[in-house]
Amino acid sequence: MTKYVLKRVLMAVITLFVVICLTFFLMNAVPGTPWLSEKTPSEATIAALNEKYGLDKPLIVQLGKYLENLAHLDFGNSIKMQKDRPVLEIILTMFPISASIGAIAILWAILVGVPLGCLAAYRRGTWVDSLLRVICTIGISMPGFVIATMLLHAFTGGIEGLKFFPTIFQQGTAKSYVLPCLALGFYPMCYLSRQTRTAMLDAINQEYIKTARAKGLRNKTIIFKHALRNALIPVITYLGPQIAFTLCGGFVVETVFTIPGLGRYFVSSISNRDYPLIMGTTIFLAAFIIVMNLIVDLLYKLVDPRINLAKGGE
Amino acid sequence: MAEKKMKRPIGSLRPDVDDILSWNDLPENAFEPASTEEKESFIQDRESVSYWKDAWRRLKKNKVAMVAMVIVILIGLFAFVGPFIVPYSYDQVISGANNIHPWHYSLEDQAKISAYIEEHTGTANLSPDEAVAQAEAEAAARGETLSAVDAAKIRAAAKANQGKGEENVTQDDAVKALGIKAKPFGYTNAELERMAAGESVFPHVFGCDTQGRDIMVRTMIGARVSMIVGICCAVIVLVIGALYGSISGYCGGKVDAVMQRIVEVIYTIPEVLVILLMGSTLKPILEEFQNSGDGPLQNLVTLLGANLISIFLTFGLLYWVTMSRLIRGQILQLKQQEYVTAARALGAEGGRIIKRHLLPNCIGQIVTTTFLQIPSAIFTESFLSFLGMGVSAPMTSLGSMCSDALGGLNTYPYRLFIPAAILSLMILCLNLFGDGLRDALDPRLKK
Repeated sequence: MTKYVLKRVLMAVITLFVVICLTFFLMNAVPGTPWLSEKTPSEATIAALNEKYGLDKPLIVQLGKYLENLAHLDFGNSIKMQKDRPVLEIILTMFPISASIGAIAILWAILVGVPLGCLAAYRRGTWVDSLLRVICTIGISMPGFVIATMLLHAFTGGIEGLKFFPTIFQQGTAKSYVLPCLALGFYPMCYLSRQTRTAMLDAINQEYIKTARAKGLRNKTIIFKHALRNALIPVITYLGPQIAFTLCGGFVVETVFTIPGLGRYFVSSISNRDYPLIMGTTIFLAAFIIVMNLIVDLLYKLVDPRINLAKGGE
Repeated sequence: MAEKKMKRPIGSLRPDVDDILSWNDLPENAFEPASTEEKESFIQDRESVSYWKDAWRRLKKNKVAMVAMVIVILIGLFAFVGPFIVPYSYDQVISGANNIHPWHYSLEDQAKISAYIEEHTGTANLSPDEAVAQAEAEAAARGETLSAVDAAKIRAAAKANQGKGEENVTQDDAVKALGIKAKPFGYTNAELERMAAGESVFPHVFGCDTQGRDIMVRTMIGARVSMIVGICCAVIVLVIGALYGSISGYCGGKVDAVMQRIVEVIYTIPEVLVILLMGSTLKPILEEFQNSGDGPLQNLVTLLGANLISIFLTFGLLYWVTMSRLIRGQILQLKQQEYVTAARALGAEGGRIIKRHLLPNCIGQIVTTTFLQIPSAIFTESFLSFLGMGVSAPMTSLGSMCSDALGGLNTYPYRLFIPAAILSLMILCLNLFGDGLRDALDPRLKK
């Protein structure tokens, strides 16, 4: 077990390193500098700015310097979008907004998706099952921005009499959270319910369910205590990366609802060529996702003791 | 002969002398080629069913998959044949067609409407200040205050409307009061006059956008871009994944270990982040390369477009991992089979065994996974385009059309709904057909 954990941690560190290097070189390969704006600064200004932010040194030196600073949790300062403000500070003010929306979204996705999946499996072949299947298939076929924009259009004044929610996101008001969370959680909800259905059908056909029935246990006990517990393993596999991704911000949802979250900021930092900000957000988000995956992998063992981690966890 | 062999005591090693002797008694024509009649009688009663025929038979029974297939083919025709039928091109700016709706009023009705408006408002149009004042009054009636941004928007709209008789704030009221019904499809006034003169004019079925470009053609081109991206990405993923997976699985040992570590690292990279990053960084790099010279490679980039290539590269680099894992797993199972040992004993080389024996035996899974890659690629491409990192203007895609439509969502909701509906329908049908394909090609998986 210890060996496995160590191996996985090492793997995570390597992955993070790869992501850092990839981001660094990709970012620097893009033609254009962060100093381009409406009025082009003079050569001397650019040279001075490059020197100030250390952009005149060879790339490998820059990378080394960056890694060294990173070891002290110093992400550098933003050089364009919020000039000279530490990147870490920017991230830490924006992450809570993204995270709160993501957490609500994933919570409703689990609370609705898993029971719906159970229901579909339990009533297999009836109209309930068919209806849920249609909804979920449509749900996973609609890109996030379609759902988000449709909701935005319908409930913020596009349809007469349905203006329930504000168009502009305001932090702290409960009403502003409804639509973004609904849009963000819809896809995971549909996906989860499909996954749960398949896993439940698998579990229901097992011998131990027959035994439980033969013992005369109540249906409720069989479904929730015996079948669901075993069906949850594939569901957790999906949830790990999804939780991380949703918490970090639906890029699309934040853009559509103009939420000042990390996802939207990441997108605009790329187009603004704010190098330290791109690096900072990428590393932060990547580290978060990688750590979440790691935790989920290790949690397997707790959920299902049959899984032998030392043999690759399969 | 067969009967004689049956008589042999089972397990005996003694050569059957009678049998060997009887070899000499073979009739003289024993080695002559069989006549057609003899061949006919040899063929079984039922026609032999090949793997693909069998799969097709199963697929045909799956009604959902067949309907999905028909819809996909229709969308394909719409996307690839449509632009040749419609006489407009996706970047053609039609004069006077700015913001026309997918419906129109005939010239007489338009005259009636403007007369009505003139009659009821005195002046044909509100001046910008009047429009703002009116909007403020409306907002106050609703208990809200008009923000400065909205006021500026109204002012600009009123300014733009000045001098245009038929596009008026109260046009809708006039239409309602006069009981005029709108006719389908959009036409500009110039086109309506030409039609009145007896010419036939192709209608703007979905109307036109802010710059006066035909939305239907743009939707067709967008759907085409999506389909091309989907198919090309699936092929790239298939080629890289199949090569990598089969080599890794077949070689095993240290080669496999190293190759699998690489796969694991790529697998754990948060893909959406890297896709966003690569989508936006590769494009300018490729554009610079495209402008750097006139070699054959540069021409290739120009032909395909820097946008599309950057999307292909992104996909090629990240999404082959799942495919390679799947194929490796299959190969690991299959390579233990006797026929592989037999092929190896006969002196076949690794490449031949992979190509002739291993890959054909997991073809069902490969086809299904490749096919299901298409909707997922379309999904991702639309996401990139929506965020403004996919294809760039004047080229369009369904995703970027949706994000363009966000600006005037309340006035022109169909600009969002049309591309969004086609995109969702396309992904839905591809998914459904892919599921049907999986059930048909791999009946073991079906429960």
